[in-house]
Amino acid sequence: MGLISFSINGTAVSGAEGETVLKVAGRAGIRIPTLCHHEAVEASGACRLCMVEISHPDWKGWKGLVTACLYPIEPGLEVSTDAEAVLECRRNVLDLLLARCPTSPVIRDLAAAYGLRETTLTVDADPDNCMLCGLCTRICAQMGHHAISTVGRGVKKKVGLPLDKPSESCVGCAVCARICPTDAITFREDGRQRKIWGRTFEMMCCEECGTSYITRAQAEYVCEREGMTIDYFEKCDKCRSRDTARTFSRMVQW
Amino acid sequence: MVDKELAVQLKRLYVTPGKCIGCRTCELACTFVHTEGGGRLRRTRVQVHDTGGETFVPVLCLQCETAACVRACPVEALVRNELTGAIDVDEERCVRCMACVVACPFGNMLFDEQAGVVVKCDVCVGRPACAMFCPTKALEYR
Repeated sequence: MGLISFSINGTAVSGAEGETVLKVAGRAGIRIPTLCHHEAVEASGACRLCMVEISHPDWKGWKGLVTACLYPIEPGLEVSTDAEAVLECRRNVLDLLLARCPTSPVIRDLAAAYGLRETTLTVDADPDNCMLCGLCTRICAQMGHHAISTVGRGVKKKVGLPLDKPSESCVGCAVCARICPTDAITFREDGRQRKIWGRTFEMMCCEECGTSYITRAQAEYVCEREGMTIDYFEKCDKCRSRDTARTFSRMVQW
Repeated sequence: MVDKELAVQLKRLYVTPGKCIGCRTCELACTFVHTEGGGRLRRTRVQVHDTGGETFVPVLCLQCETAACVRACPVEALVRNELTGAIDVDEERCVRCMACVVACPFGNMLFDEQAGVVVKCDVCVGRPACAMFCPTKALEYR
């Protein structure tokens, strides 16, 4: 498999066929801002923040703006991550995002980096931190739960539960909340229970010390998927580590 | 990058509990190696336990053939490094679902609370500091 050579900001870089501009740029240490991108999830180009300008010697001077997270690399491609058109495009995107999520610290910081303190547009009447990138719904589907999705259309679009009722397929893993780039999804946890998406989940508490990391529903889901037994999940890492030491120590004395 | 010469022959980390004096130099070496840019010390991936009767046991990842952590991972963020033989965490892929931390039967998948990431022994990409600094050869890489 041959490497594809091209350039980013005049620097020669290379990558394998099928890789995206974003991937190769990341490896080369060239930072392109993103919000909705995650390595474990298929890219969808939702946030439009990773826009870059592309051109090619064969394109007779034609230039275009594309999302770096989706654009596959090709030989001879000339990418610019800091052309004036790119910066203006990102400013416009951030202006829109600021109008939707005026209080999100992540978006405010990004916007400030591009010289925007407040949006020039009309602020959403009922703003929250969700910018509808759908990263949470995509990871949920990929993990096999399909518990949340975007519901409604146009200005009424939001991330939510089917028919606004607590989902049977949710296991309370809270990956949606942890992956959210703007921390728009929240959950509450007290060590014994976790409350998320309108449901209360029992935590898998360590049978020795009570420490908990995951919900029972999540443990059961992994067991079913992998043919594992629930006792894999009944103790925490610290107690297991101590058990391992005791077992080794006994083995030495034999 | 992995030193290819080092990886010609897959080595393993050997633990000999009888030789361990509980000095915890390995823990210190581990935290130093895995702390970047002089920041706060990171979570140690080798843990020395006092099992009573002056017996100390350093516990670290066994790099299991059929690993529970790998099976529990929903996004294939745990992958075997062919050059070192260790199972590595791909931090970019990890979604922090914590399934691997609980699934490991030996307690060797750890959560670094300060950095918010899951960590495990990666045999220092072929040059394990714990074994290098162990004064009694309770930990050996051969």
